[in-house]
Amino acid sequence: MVRAAIEVIKPRTAEDLATTLGEAAAGGKAVTAVGGGRAAGMGGSLHRCDVELHTGGLDRVIEHSPADMVVSVEAGITLEALQVHLAKSGQFLPLDPFNSPGHTIGGLLATGWTGPLRMRYGSPRDFLIGIRVALPDGRLASAGGRVVKNVSGYDLMKLHLGAMGSLGVIVAASFKVFPQPLHDVTVESHDGWPAVDAVLAAPVAPSAIELFSDGRVIARFFGSPDAVNSTVKTLGWPGTDREAWTQHSHRAADRWARIAVPRTKLREVLNALPQGSRWWASPGVGIAHWAFDDEAAVITARTFAESAGGSLVLMFAPDQVKEKVGAWGSPPPTLEVMRRLKEAFDPKHILNPGRYVI
Amino acid sequence: MPLPASVIGELKKVAGRDHVITALNDLRIFERDGSIEGAVPDAIVLPSNTEQVAAVIKVAARHNIPIVPRGAGTGLSGGAVTIRGGIALQMTRMRRILEIDPVGQTALVEPGVVNQELSLAAAPHQLFYAPDPSSQKACTIGGNAAENSGGPHCLYYGVTTNHVLGMEVVLADGSVHWVSGDAADRIGLDLCGVLVGSEGTLCAITKVKVRLLRIPPSIATLLAAFPSIDAASQAVSAVIGRGIVPAALEMMDKVTVGAVEAHYRAGYPTDAGAVLLVEVDGVAESTRELMAAIREVLSENQGYAMREAQTPAERDLLWAGRKGAIGALGRIKPNYYLHDGVVPRSKLPQVLSAVGEIGVHYKLPVANVFHAGDGNLHPNILFDLRDRDVLHQVEEAGEEMLHAVVELGGALSGEHGIGLEKSSYMPWIFSPDDLEVMSRVKSALDPNGLLNPGKIFPDPERKKISLAGRTGFAVEAKWW
Repeated sequence: MVRAAIEVIKPRTAEDLATTLGEAAAGGKAVTAVGGGRAAGMGGSLHRCDVELHTGGLDRVIEHSPADMVVSVEAGITLEALQVHLAKSGQFLPLDPFNSPGHTIGGLLATGWTGPLRMRYGSPRDFLIGIRVALPDGRLASAGGRVVKNVSGYDLMKLHLGAMGSLGVIVAASFKVFPQPLHDVTVESHDGWPAVDAVLAAPVAPSAIELFSDGRVIARFFGSPDAVNSTVKTLGWPGTDREAWTQHSHRAADRWARIAVPRTKLREVLNALPQGSRWWASPGVGIAHWAFDDEAAVITARTFAESAGGSLVLMFAPDQVKEKVGAWGSPPPTLEVMRRLKEAFDPKHILNPGRYVI
Repeated sequence: MPLPASVIGELKKVAGRDHVITALNDLRIFERDGSIEGAVPDAIVLPSNTEQVAAVIKVAARHNIPIVPRGAGTGLSGGAVTIRGGIALQMTRMRRILEIDPVGQTALVEPGVVNQELSLAAAPHQLFYAPDPSSQKACTIGGNAAENSGGPHCLYYGVTTNHVLGMEVVLADGSVHWVSGDAADRIGLDLCGVLVGSEGTLCAITKVKVRLLRIPPSIATLLAAFPSIDAASQAVSAVIGRGIVPAALEMMDKVTVGAVEAHYRAGYPTDAGAVLLVEVDGVAESTRELMAAIREVLSENQGYAMREAQTPAERDLLWAGRKGAIGALGRIKPNYYLHDGVVPRSKLPQVLSAVGEIGVHYKLPVANVFHAGDGNLHPNILFDLRDRDVLHQVEEAGEEMLHAVVELGGALSGEHGIGLEKSSYMPWIFSPDDLEVMSRVKSALDPNGLLNPGKIFPDPERKKISLAGRTGFAVEAKWW
């Protein structure tokens, strides 16, 4: 890829973005959308990139209705800016991805990154209620809406979420947002898996629980004060500062991978990593992030993850590592069906060529 | 139009002689679902396994015959109606619970498993399946997945799509695929997410893997009366505004309460302008604390005659009244036309007053019983099909109500689906470009348009509601 030839365009409106995309596509140019760049290392190396569409100019909160607990934003707004806006009404979006701060909403949706709060709130799959996408033919198309429950038409939100921009460029999104918890307590242990098992068996499930490779565990409880306090008391762990979660969200590595397996298989997959590996995990969800050293270990770990019914995906790695082990691993058995959808949205394959599995 | 004998022969070869129905009187049983409009299928096939489903679809594809998957037929938008004729693929023989994994908290089921049966089977493991449509005693998991069904407890727990981990599906070419699975963040497009709620237009569902949840140790259920729908709506917003998301937050208007109380004698206050049914669950400390806070908010918003269920039996009775409400409305009129629009919660008072005015204008009684916490209304227009001219009025009134929903920023359907009933209204909320993009998905997966044709997308050739051969017989009011 000859980087010097890349044309960088920073549209100010969704319409401009769509027009630019349409023109580029008509000219056979390959286009990559760029948000905050925090997940730019994810996926295969681009085969081609002629135009970079930066979404930073699309950073407005389009509409926030606190009474309805619904917000619509442009794709280029950062997660932090959105949280500041929502906090004024005592609300928040339960998304706390790693390698923060600086993720844009569009980037988070395109990559599907999540964090510890997924345990309680699920992923954007569960609270993304509407989407607007620019397509290579220059159209802007929406799906979903601005209500919290909606089965009107196909759920195209799910199709674009985590699709790495391979079907279109997300320009706006609507979310169901949540009230800030009545009570929010974080506790800590250093007892590793037994501590995790104890928390997960407690009558009040934590909103987040993170296990680190050194045996440290932090757990976060949201809820009514009495219920949270009595749970924490029964657990008997010392409290710790909520700031631990902010620090945790900054975590990343020069070479790191995401392992996602059925929840019950996570332990054995992590046990199979090389001794002394540095990782952190959400055992309530079945996801771990691993700062790996070498390609051979990735290949072995991926074999374990895939045979457990999961995956190992590179989050950031030098191009030569990606080329050697592949960013995604084994293609899904439904690849042929996915390709039919790709053809329907991006027949000329100008969106992020080479980056995703389809 | 009857299918050629050779095609019937092929179908019988696939599913067995006894599992292909072609006699007109038998076919009529399958002419409709829970909505108004019907159409008699040309044949019914009752497959017993995935291979048979795939083989039937291949026969249909070879002969270019429409094929419509069907569960219990409780759907409320005409999704299972064979409006273009063809084969109804009746999935209810595939009704085995294949696996319950108490450790992973999942279940693998065939599509014909009845919603409530799954929760009953999971109960010995202290687990339950959360989505609870009011028809849960009859509706199937396959139908729920096809329609992305909701229910009262979806306010807190989410709708069907939030609970389906993966599915085995048969596409229009007869190919069988597993989409998604137990692990988070699987590689590739989220086909499962698109297929759930696709209303039988993209695939037939042959297995569903769902998430099960732990049965909460404590549940508190409160009934509260309000002088008016407006006051009850304000109270709903106030509860949520306090940062409390109850497990369920349901409203019933005076008309509904009257019918429910006459039928169930559950202690609903018949003098009230509206009642709210509020439920919270969790550990005992939490339910106690939340319920105290909710009582306070409701009192501040004109709530009175508040009564908390003291025993599980009392709670069940309150819920029987809510879930059986639509059946109880049969005391007023034998038929109903039920809409399912959703508005931003803060717009509930406006939309409900519009609904009331429309009922008055058309001189049709309207009963409201709905998921207030989600802003998901269910106005029931009550009528008697024996009044020959009434149906047109009912349809117009329903259309006006939906239009009011859309004008307030709402959506056409919260949980019942677009189906046949609302397909012509899709352009109200989606642009031609939006619809064109959705139709690309349809064409990519079903290029010949064989699966459930005539649904979701507006059909310019569509005639107005027909009674599908029912001439003058009142349809018995169904329990719901």
